[in-house]
Amino acid sequence: MLVRGPHAKRLARATLRAVATTGQSMIDARLIAELCEIIGDDGMVLRATELKVYECDGWTLEKCSPEILLRPRTIAEVSAILKILHRRGIAFVPRGAGTGLSGGCLPLGAPVMICTSRMNRILQIDHASRRIEVESGVVNLHVTNAVKARGLMYAPDPSSQVACTIGGNVAENSGGPHTLKYGVTTNHVLGVEIVLPDGEIAELGGPAEERCGYDLVGAIVGSEGTTGIVTRATLKLTRAPAAYRTLLAIFADIENATRAVSAIIAAGIIPGAIEMMDQMIIRAVEAAFHAGLPEDAGAVLIIELDGIAAGIDGHAQNVSELVRAAGANEVRLARDEAERATLWKARKRAFGAVGRLAPNYATQDGVVPRTRLPDILRAIIAISHRHKIRIGNVFHAGDGNIHPIVLYDERDAGETQRAIEAGRDILKACVEMGGSLTGEHGIGVEKMAEMPLIFSPEDLLVMSELRRVFDPDQRANPNKVIPVPGSCVEVTAPRRQVAL
Amino acid sequence: MSARDSSALARELAAIVGNPHVRAPSALETRAASIIVEPRDANEVAELVRKCEADAITLAPIGAARTLAQIRPAPVAVGISLARIDRVIAYEPDDMTVIADAGLTLAALNSLTATRGQRLPADPPYPDRTTLGALVAAAQAGPLRLSEGTVRDLLIGVRFVGHDARLIHGGGRVVKNVAGYDLMKVMVGSFGTLGIVTETTFKVRPIPQRYTAAIAQFADPDAALIAAAALHDAVPLIHLEVVSAAVADALGYPAHPQVFAGIAGSAEEVAYLLSQVTALLGPSSTVLADADAVTAYEHLRDFDANDAAIAAQIAVAPAELASCLMRSGAEFRAHAGCGVAQIFTRDASRAEEIRRTLSHWRDLAHGARGNLRVLRVNDDFHHEVNFFDEPPGPALALMRRLKSTFDPRGVFNPGCFVGGL
Repeated sequence: MLVRGPHAKRLARATLRAVATTGQSMIDARLIAELCEIIGDDGMVLRATELKVYECDGWTLEKCSPEILLRPRTIAEVSAILKILHRRGIAFVPRGAGTGLSGGCLPLGAPVMICTSRMNRILQIDHASRRIEVESGVVNLHVTNAVKARGLMYAPDPSSQVACTIGGNVAENSGGPHTLKYGVTTNHVLGVEIVLPDGEIAELGGPAEERCGYDLVGAIVGSEGTTGIVTRATLKLTRAPAAYRTLLAIFADIENATRAVSAIIAAGIIPGAIEMMDQMIIRAVEAAFHAGLPEDAGAVLIIELDGIAAGIDGHAQNVSELVRAAGANEVRLARDEAERATLWKARKRAFGAVGRLAPNYATQDGVVPRTRLPDILRAIIAISHRHKIRIGNVFHAGDGNIHPIVLYDERDAGETQRAIEAGRDILKACVEMGGSLTGEHGIGVEKMAEMPLIFSPEDLLVMSELRRVFDPDQRANPNKVIPVPGSCVEVTAPRRQVAL
Repeated sequence: MSARDSSALARELAAIVGNPHVRAPSALETRAASIIVEPRDANEVAELVRKCEADAITLAPIGAARTLAQIRPAPVAVGISLARIDRVIAYEPDDMTVIADAGLTLAALNSLTATRGQRLPADPPYPDRTTLGALVAAAQAGPLRLSEGTVRDLLIGVRFVGHDARLIHGGGRVVKNVAGYDLMKVMVGSFGTLGIVTETTFKVRPIPQRYTAAIAQFADPDAALIAAAALHDAVPLIHLEVVSAAVADALGYPAHPQVFAGIAGSAEEVAYLLSQVTALLGPSSTVLADADAVTAYEHLRDFDANDAAIAAQIAVAPAELASCLMRSGAEFRAHAGCGVAQIFTRDASRAEEIRRTLSHWRDLAHGARGNLRVLRVNDDFHHEVNFFDEPPGPALALMRRLKSTFDPRGVFNPGCFVGGL
């Protein structure tokens, strides 16, 4: 049964209280001894002070420590652990690096957390086939590092790529700035080895581009850890571009900047990335890093073209003319790799710089059809005025994937409440414009309550049925994604995570 | 089904879709379904599903009738034609997205998007007779898979009628979206066994400014495959096809193995890439530009070994494709770089030969960490053949659960997919 509205929230609060106050832990000494036999003392964390490290991911609004953390090294260990938990009916949460932004690995009603970070071997590289097989704890950037000498890369590049794991990427179907041209995680994962919640190991897909039977790999990618624990993945590698041209287009106002995005796409040009920053963000970045951005600009676009060297200057010229025609006052071309790196540093560190603007900030992750970017930004400005809240914008413009940053001071209860409402209003506006609740951060616990804005009760029912194909007892990462009684977290503080 | 039952069924179906929209199957459809109905919208599809579930009558979408006729051991009772559900619902060129009914053909969609310099770059054979629903259900791809991916990469939203006549939607109309479980992936390549897709939302892509093809012939297939591997390594191409001598002959080229390399981009890019390609292929290669290249590409895309006794699709780790093809002894049309090829033989006239050949090909595919799908066998033998590879035990168990969850009454095109699902 799907429950929405105030009733769902009451139920949720009651369940959360029950989860928090129940004295009856399912973790007893015998279970600990059994688990210890499998992974040894050094593979488990029991002390409350150490467990605090794992009480949240990048979504820090809700915190909840697991009762026990397990750090298996092999698939056999994962399978043995899950068999024991299955026998006892205990729920668990998989965790990669904990860089997620929607509370996906919050152990809500799941006493056991299983961290994949020690399963971090690259198992096989087949350069000629452009395939790599890795354990799920391998860090995203390490994949590209392992193959770049041969002119290859792993295309999905979430900004947390120096830390986030492939297993986490698979769970969240992670994106990044360059997904505009290259696609997201699901377009690059051909096979997974998954330990199902009953401990059974299933190998799905493989290095071949075609599958036999249903595309279960496609169903698992983006399932936010609710189908089991992915222990290995076979990834597609991509030819690395031979050349880049990175442009900084400077606009007097945000509206022209968003129109320029549409002009580029409409001209049939697919850059590697189109990123936007508004004035508030530009000024924060300049104050923090002195990247040379024009502080009087209303907005800037970072447009990166990539591909072969031949003809790339022609494309850069075209883009330059298009954005000027759309109202850019100035277009600068990064002259060398150092200038390109500076621009990207400014963009990727923008969220860090925002800390200067307010004691707290909350980030949204909405999506609109890219032609509606001017409309959503107008709506954000109106929402900002209506709630008397400052909102900055830095986002993946080419995909229509916005990341508005709502500034507030949590010591001011009224402002805090207005920030929450502003965030919700922005998401609603995205949905009204034909968009989505999340482009790359996931639903997690953060946006469960909003799922009914875009999916009917029947849609959600089918999705939960799909999940139960893998996890009939719903013990893998429970209380996530689909709103059911007891799983909607009441949002009492704005979203504070660092979005990337 | 007796004649009387069947006329009673026809009357009951007519009560849902109207008399003019219940018909006998065409010659092409006759082995796929016993009666064809043409509902006008998803609600009528839902009524049909409700009726079939209530009376335990099998049904299947009939868009991929050719494929169904092959893989089905016997026709389903009711074939759902989406011929009347064929509107373009929203085409947003500047968003590069399109929403269209599943009964629209790929060719019709692409003639619309072409007016804005765009296309849905899924390219199975004969786009004029491939509906979007069939494209999703059968997940067939073509030469452009090398650069554009396959339908699984392009489908961003879906509506389908599931069991209990539920109208389900997944995904959306934005190009980047991780809200909810990925129902698109579940439906792609499910061959109508989980529900009836009624509406699809796709990403579209720009049609390249210039398109050029370089064609080179080789003395033997091994040399052609080696040359293709070198090309794939060195040059970003939009397609890279290798055909064996008999396929080249059937396409009207000299009866030698041929490599077709597709180059696209701006004039400057094409000129540069072409110089790279011809340097690798040698001076004897033929270069076709623009309209001529398009004609050659379409011809190649639509290649269909009609006279083959067995046709199959092999998919393996790309670097192992060449050795599989060489050892198969088959004629082939290969999507080099993707590790996928359609393979054919004319020399199998007895059931035993067909079994032996398929078993040999399957062993090769499995040895190269891949799989084999039978596309077609001589009509007399299609009962003898497993059209789909059986996945390993735990994977098959999951697939059985998926099927029984989405189709608890077992009416959606049952008994012909993997493991008899």
